[in-house]
Amino acid sequence: MQFLGSFLPVWIVMFPMVMTVVIYYVEQRSEKMRNALAVATSVVTFLSVLALYPGVMAGKIIEFELFQILPNLAVSFRVDILSFSLALLSSFIWMLVAIYSIDYMCKEHGCNRYYPVLIITLASCMGIFMAGDLFTLFVFFEMMSLISYVLVVHEETIEALRAGYKYLIMTIIGGLALFFGIIITFELGGSVSLSNPVPLISEPSTLAFFAFISFLIGFGMKAGMFPLHVWLPDAHPVAPSPASALLSGIMLKTGAYGLLRVIFHVYGIEFMQETGWTVILAVVAVITILLGSAVAITQDNLKRRLAYSSVGQMGYILLGISILNERALMGNIFHIFSHAFMKSTLFLAAGAIILKTGKKNIKDLGGIGRQMPFTMFAFTLAALSMIGIPPFNGFLSKWTLSLGAMDAGVPFYVLILLISSLLNGLYYLPIIIAAFFGEEQGEGHKHEFVKINEAPYKMLIPIAILAVSCLLFGLLPSNLPFDLSRVAAEYLLRGGF
Amino acid sequence: MNFSQHLPALIVVVPLLFAFVMPLLARWRKQWCVPVTLGAIIFSFAAALQMAFQVMSTGPFSYYMGDWPPPWGIELGIDYLAAFAALTINGVGLLIIWFGSKDLLHELKPEVLGWYYTLYLLLMASMVGIVITNDIFNMFVFLEICAIASCGIISIKESRDCIEAAFKYLVLSVLGSGAFLLAVALLYMVTGHLNFTFMAEALPEAMVLYPNNLLVAMGLLVVGLGVKAALFPLHVWLPDAHSSAPSPSSAVLSALVIKVYAVAMIRLLYLVFPRELLGIAPVMEMILWMSTLAIIIGSMFAIVQDDIKKMLAYSSIAQIGYVFLGVGLMSESALVGGILHIFNHATMKSMLFLAAGAFIYGTGARKLSELKGIGHTMPIPTIAFCIGAFSMVGIPITSGFISKWYLALGALDVGRPFFTAVILISSLLNGIYYLPIVVNAFFSKPEEAVPAPKQLPREMLVPLALLSFGVILFGVYPSLILGIVYRAAQLLLGL
Repeated sequence: MQFLGSFLPVWIVMFPMVMTVVIYYVEQRSEKMRNALAVATSVVTFLSVLALYPGVMAGKIIEFELFQILPNLAVSFRVDILSFSLALLSSFIWMLVAIYSIDYMCKEHGCNRYYPVLIITLASCMGIFMAGDLFTLFVFFEMMSLISYVLVVHEETIEALRAGYKYLIMTIIGGLALFFGIIITFELGGSVSLSNPVPLISEPSTLAFFAFISFLIGFGMKAGMFPLHVWLPDAHPVAPSPASALLSGIMLKTGAYGLLRVIFHVYGIEFMQETGWTVILAVVAVITILLGSAVAITQDNLKRRLAYSSVGQMGYILLGISILNERALMGNIFHIFSHAFMKSTLFLAAGAIILKTGKKNIKDLGGIGRQMPFTMFAFTLAALSMIGIPPFNGFLSKWTLSLGAMDAGVPFYVLILLISSLLNGLYYLPIIIAAFFGEEQGEGHKHEFVKINEAPYKMLIPIAILAVSCLLFGLLPSNLPFDLSRVAAEYLLRGGF
Repeated sequence: MNFSQHLPALIVVVPLLFAFVMPLLARWRKQWCVPVTLGAIIFSFAAALQMAFQVMSTGPFSYYMGDWPPPWGIELGIDYLAAFAALTINGVGLLIIWFGSKDLLHELKPEVLGWYYTLYLLLMASMVGIVITNDIFNMFVFLEICAIASCGIISIKESRDCIEAAFKYLVLSVLGSGAFLLAVALLYMVTGHLNFTFMAEALPEAMVLYPNNLLVAMGLLVVGLGVKAALFPLHVWLPDAHSSAPSPSSAVLSALVIKVYAVAMIRLLYLVFPRELLGIAPVMEMILWMSTLAIIIGSMFAIVQDDIKKMLAYSSIAQIGYVFLGVGLMSESALVGGILHIFNHATMKSMLFLAAGAFIYGTGARKLSELKGIGHTMPIPTIAFCIGAFSMVGIPITSGFISKWYLALGALDVGRPFFTAVILISSLLNGIYYLPIVVNAFFSKPEEAVPAPKQLPREMLVPLALLSFGVILFGVYPSLILGIVYRAAQLLLGL
C-alpha cells in the first residue's frame, strides 16, 4: 500500500501517455472507440488524482524517484498540496473539455490528430505539476509547450501557422531561458530537487539574479507576462475552442506554478524579501493587468477578446505571487482556480456559438441570447464572475488578493484591481447586453420568433458544470478550492514542508 | 600472443586490406562488394567495442607495431579517448554505409560503385588510425590518406559542383597537411622524437631552449588541423563540399571526418604540449573565441540557406564550434561536454543528412520549399529529421540536451556564464532554422501536386530508425557512454 501510494504520481503521468499510443492505434479502426477512450482516459486520470486526496490533506508529501539521467539529475515525482490542487483542477477541466470535444470536433478535420495530442498534453501537464525537481518540470514543460503547438495550428490556415510560428519561437526562447536558470541553480545549489530542506540558492549574487530573470522569462512567457505575452492573443483564438479553453484555462497556469516553485523552493521567501527582486515581477504584473484589460476592449473577435482578458487575469496571479504574504498567496492560488473555471466556461461557450452560428465577431452577436439562451446564460455567469461581482468566485479571489495587498501595505494594488475590474466590465457587459437585448443584424427578421438553436447536450453539460462551479465556489463560505488554496498558501509560507 | 592482443593493429589493417580487394570484387563478383564492406566495418566495430571494454576494465594500453618498442617503432596508444572515438567512427560509419548501399545506386554511375567502397574503407581505416596512433608522423600519414579519401568520395559523383567543391577542399586540405608537416618537423627538430609520450617528456626542457620554435609549431598545428576540422574562419571549403557530395558522403564527412581532426587536436594540445606553453600563448582563449564565432555565425548562415544539405553543412560548422568550445574552456564538465558532443553530433548529423538523402532519393527535392507536406508521404525519414532537429535545439530527452548541459555547466564552472549564453543563443538559432522544416513537413500543403515519392528500401529505413533510437537512448540514458567520456576528460586534464 505504501508503495502503491508513492507510485500513484507516476501512474497519473504514465497512464495518459500509454493511452495516447492506444488511442493512436484504435482510431485507425473506430472513431467512436477513440472518443470513448479519450474521455475514459481523462476520467481515470481525474479519479487517480482524486485518490491522492486523503494522503495529501493529511500533510503527507509523496516522493518517487524514477531514474537518474545524470548524477544529481533525476526524473522524479513529488506531490504536495500545491501540486495536488493544480493537478486536480487541470484533470477536472480536461475531463470536461474531452467530453465537450466529442460533439465540437465532429465537424472538424484531423480528429485523429487532435485526440492523441489532447491526451498526451494532459500527461505532460500532470508531469509539470507532479515534478519532483526542476529538471523533470522542465522536461514536461517543454513537452507540453511543443506538443500543444499541434493544437494551436490545428486549423492549418495561414493565420494559424503564423500564430503557431510565433508561439514556437517564444516557446523555444522560454525553454532556453529556463535551461539557463536551471543550470545556474544546479551550479550554485548542486541539485535541482524541489525536496531540498533548505532553498537551493541562499546567497544573493549576480549569477543568482541572472537565474531569477531567466526563470521569470521562461515561466513568464508561458504565463503571458508583459512583454512576453505577444504570442498569446494570436495563438489562443486560432486553436479550436476546446483547445483554447485548455490553453487559456490550464496551460497558462503552469507558468504561474513554475514561478511559485522557483520563489519558494529555489530562493526561499526570506531571500526574496531581503533582495526585493519580486518588485520586478510586481511591476510587470501591474503592466500586464492594465494592458491586457485595455487592449481587450478594442478587440472585436470574441475569442481574441477572451485571450486578451486572459493576459489581464494572469497579471492578477503574478501580482499575487509578488506580494509574498499569506492572504495574497491564497488569493493568487484561488484565482488560478477561479480563472480556470471562468475562462474555460467563456471559451467553451464561444465555441458553442461558433459551432451553431459560425459567428466569431462580437458585432454579429446581437440577439444571440434568444437563440442560445442556455449557452449565453452560462457565458453571463462567467463574465460577471470575471468582473468580480459578488457572489461569484472571481469576487472572492479579488477580495482575498486585495486583503493581501492591504496586509502588505500597498493599497495601490487594490486600486489597480479595481480599475481592471472596471475595464473587465467595459468589455464583457456589452457582449451580454447585446446578446440578450440587442437586435439581430440585417435581413429584417426583427420581430420574428427566434427558434432556439442550442448546442448538443454533450457540449452544454460541461459548460453548465463549469458555470455553476463559478457561482458555487463563490457562494459557499468553505469549499474545496478555497480550502486547498488556504492550506497551500500556509504550506508554501512554511517553506514548502 | 593471442588474437585479441592484435586488435589495435587489425582495426586499421582489416579495412585497409579490404579497401584494396574492393576493385577486384567490383569486376569479379559485384554483389559481394556491399557485404564485404559491411563485414569489414562490423569487424572494426566489434574490435573497437572489445577495446573499449578492455580500456574500461584494465586501463589504457599500447601496441607496438611489429614489436618494435618506441621510440623506434610505431606505437598505437589505446586510451579512453581513442577507444571512444574508434567506437563512434565505426558505429556511425557502419550505419551510414548500410544506408548508402541502396542510396548510392541512384547517385553514382554503376562503374564507380566499387571504387566508392574502396574510398570509404580507406577513409574509415585512416580515421581510426588518426585517433589511435601515438606517433605524430604516423598521424600525418593517416591525415593524408583521410584527406585524399574524403576528396575522393566527394568528386566521385562527377558533377560540376562536386568536382569544384572537391578541388577547393583538396587545396585547403593540402595546405592544412603542409602546415601539419612543418609542425612535425619543428617538433622533431627540438625534441628528437616523434612518439607523443617521448615528445611530451622532452618538451618542457625544449620549451626553455626553443620557445619560438614551439610556438610556431603549435600555431601551425592549430591552423593545420583547424582547416581540416572547419574551425571558423577556416571553414570556407565545408559548405560546398558537404552539400554537393552524395548523401552518405555528406553524412560521413560532417559526422565523422571533421571530428577526427578535433580529436587529434585535443590529444596534441592536452597531452603533448606542456601546460606552461599554453600559458605563454593564449591558444585556448583563441580557440574559445573562434568557436564562439563559429557557433553564432555558422547558425546565422544556416538560417538563410534554401538547400537542405547546405543548411545542414552550415549547421555542422556551428556544431564543431561546440566541440572546440568544450576544448577551450578547460574545465572537466566542459571537456566532457565537448567530447560527448563528438558522439552526439555524429549520430544527430548523420541522421539528418541521411534523412535529407532519403528525401532526395524519394522525391528528388533538395529545396526546403519543396519539402512541404513531406511528413505525410515519407513519415519515417521526417520523424527521424524531427528527432534530429529537436536534438539540435537541445530539447530534453534527446542526446543534444546532455552535451549542452555539460558544456553550459562547464562554462559556469570556470565562471564564464557568457559562454553559457552563447550556447543558448545558438540553440535558439538552431530552432529558427530546423523547426520550420519540421512544421512545413507536417502542416503545410505543397503548392502544386507532387507525384508520390519512391518507396524507401529497408536498408535505408533501418539505419535511420536505429540512429533516431540512439539519439533518444543516449538522451535518456547517457551513462552508457558517459563513463568512458568522463575518464577520457580526466586523463586529458591530468586529474
